[in-house]
Amino acid sequence: MSNATQFRSRLWLETLLQTLARQPGGGVAGQRAGDCDWDLPSRRSEAWRFTDLRCLTRLDPGRLHTRTASPHWPEAVRQAPSGQGSPLRLCLQLDSRGHWLSPQGEPPPWPRGLMPLANEDITPGQVARTLMPAGPLPLGARLNSVTPGPSLGLRVSGPDFIHLDLGIRVEQAQAWLAPHVLLVLEPGARLCLSWHVAVTAPAAVLPMVEARLGLGAQLEEAAMTWGCPEAAFLGGSFVHQSPWSVYRRTNVTWGWGLSRDEPFIRQCQGRAETHLHGLAVARGQSLLDTHSTVYFDGPAGRLRQRHQALADDQGHSVFNGRVVAPRLAQETDAGQLSRNLLLSAKARIDTKPQLEIVADNVQCTHGATVSCLQDDELFYLQSRGIGRDQASRLLQRGFCEEILQRLPEAALSWPPLRSLLETPTPDQP
Amino acid sequence: MTSTETTPSREAPIQPGDVLLSIENLRACVEENEILRGVSLQIRAGEIHALMGRNGSGKSTLSKVIAGHPAYTVTAGSIHYRGQDLLAFSPEERARSGVFLGFQYPVEIPGVSNLEFLRVSCNARRQHRGQEELDTFAFEDHVRETMAIVQMDPAFLERSVNEGFSGGEKKRNEVLQMALLEPLVAILDETDSGLDIDALRIVANGVKRLALPTTATLLITHYQRLLDAITPDFVHVMAEGRILRTGDKDLAMALEERGYDWIDETDGSDVRQP
Ligand SMILES: Nc1ncnc2c1ncn2[C@@H]1O[C@H](COP(=O)(O)OP(=O)(O)O)[C@@H](O)[C@H]1O
Ligand SMILES: [Mg+2]
Repeated sequence: MSNATQFRSRLWLETLLQTLARQPGGGVAGQRAGDCDWDLPSRRSEAWRFTDLRCLTRLDPGRLHTRTASPHWPEAVRQAPSGQGSPLRLCLQLDSRGHWLSPQGEPPPWPRGLMPLANEDITPGQVARTLMPAGPLPLGARLNSVTPGPSLGLRVSGPDFIHLDLGIRVEQAQAWLAPHVLLVLEPGARLCLSWHVAVTAPAAVLPMVEARLGLGAQLEEAAMTWGCPEAAFLGGSFVHQSPWSVYRRTNVTWGWGLSRDEPFIRQCQGRAETHLHGLAVARGQSLLDTHSTVYFDGPAGRLRQRHQALADDQGHSVFNGRVVAPRLAQETDAGQLSRNLLLSAKARIDTKPQLEIVADNVQCTHGATVSCLQDDELFYLQSRGIGRDQASRLLQRGFCEEILQRLPEAALSWPPLRSLLETPTPDQP
Repeated sequence: MTSTETTPSREAPIQPGDVLLSIENLRACVEENEILRGVSLQIRAGEIHALMGRNGSGKSTLSKVIAGHPAYTVTAGSIHYRGQDLLAFSPEERARSGVFLGFQYPVEIPGVSNLEFLRVSCNARRQHRGQEELDTFAFEDHVRETMAIVQMDPAFLERSVNEGFSGGEKKRNEVLQMALLEPLVAILDETDSGLDIDALRIVANGVKRLALPTTATLLITHYQRLLDAITPDFVHVMAEGRILRTGDKDLAMALEERGYDWIDETDGSDVRQP
């Protein structure tokens, strides 16, 4: 980064932090923002060398707002019985003041087993800090925590599987949304959390999710984040897992100018299960970046991770999968796979495992493949009368299927995802 | 043949005996290696041809060149299909216009549902014939009916194309595709290999049902047992990229008894073209 660029990005950050501090509720955050002793990461740093922040810094700090639109809830999701019966399902959407309301615009009818936490029990970064005691939080989380706004804090209890659907839709340029969600799952509690983010204007969404999973608790998180070419997504997830807990995260992202997703999971005494499945579809000039960390702080933990990316046009996918097993993490069983489909000469895939294994009795496998569409597969489809373009799209979708099939059924009925999934129509003659 | 054919085909009608496929002095290579060295073959409506020959003699290559596989370059000769230059068409156009290749090694395509694949391909052929396309529901009825021909379990519709199918299941899936596409010229490349007796009978019955006076079939096979079930009108023996000999079903029987060496020893002077 040149000095001029560095200066501009510094100026942008300072202006941003001052603007955020002046916003209503910006008191505490304002103080945090005030001591601006940090900078946007430069591409000289290893973790950011592929990631261009211009999509974010093109936003004008002086014009930022938090106006949202109503998510296009599919009937299947909205009509599901909420509060009563099984499964328990609750749909919430982010309003322009940062509150989560029902699709009818009312305060949520909290079902049994889901209890809002008092505001004083919620400090952004409280889980993140215990997971990453040293060093700065990732950029998205940092920006999230200096943005004022209410948090959604929930205590989850009881044996019932609760479904919580969170919808965010942005249609106006210059929106800056930094929702903060804190989840405390009591021992044995089970929650299925689905995120649906859709952004159709130059804007930024920077969600931070913090979750604490008690003994044997189960959190299934599905995130479908869809943006437009000028929009930026910076996500941070911090999950603290107790023994015998299970965390499954399935993440599908496409369309953004820039997306940087940084899940950080810590199995605090090992013996837990983590499943991470990600799909990034980078077309146009999209840059989709996932930097994940799974930290085993005890023995006999298990990880199954699979990241898939498809890059076409000038799209660029970045994956960095960090797995840390210190000496006490004996008998860790970790498997990581990165599968990539490269569809154009100008598209780019950067994928890298980052294994920091000190424990000696560890099973850790990793693999990465980058391939093009297979000629034999294309020819097989063509030999059945399917045109080359349509065949290519069928194969691309087939590639995505491995991850898509892990999404909860209801997620598939969201219109943007449906268009990603659509049966390709025949080529026009 | 099936209830879904409500709209008549736009395809020009065919009379038994019309020449459907005419291959003349065809030469083809992969990279620098010439594999087909002057193949000539004529196939008429109503005929069943068998193509035999040692492994590596070029049978699959011939079938893939007919279907338009991009790995092969035609260096000389021609293929005409119903009077048109077939080599000028893309693989998908060949398939839509009624040329079908049952693969020796059907390709597995993870993530693409067999049902959807079959529907898209069936509709591509129907569209070409000027028939209305079938929606998901209509197609599902149609395909289930058709599956009965090869006694295939509808559970295979839910799976990915050929993924994890046994050898025999893949071959049945090929015959199912043939039944759905209703080709005018069907080339079946070792569709009988790796089948047990029952599966062979099912596949043979399926192929027999689909062989009409207005269509033609080219069976590539090593085994007499398929030809016991389906009597060919012509038997060709291929060696080193050429058809060395042509005869009737007795030629296949003679081969079964005496082996391919016998062909090498005779000079191929009594080659008889249909
Ligand atoms: N794509 C290819 N690349 C290289 N060699 C090939 C290819 N296809 C066929 N051949 C070669 O051409 C010859 C004929 O092969 P093939 O047509 O498969 O024979 P058959 O089907 O009669 O057993 C073999 O020597 C084979 O190795
Ligand atoms: Mg062969």
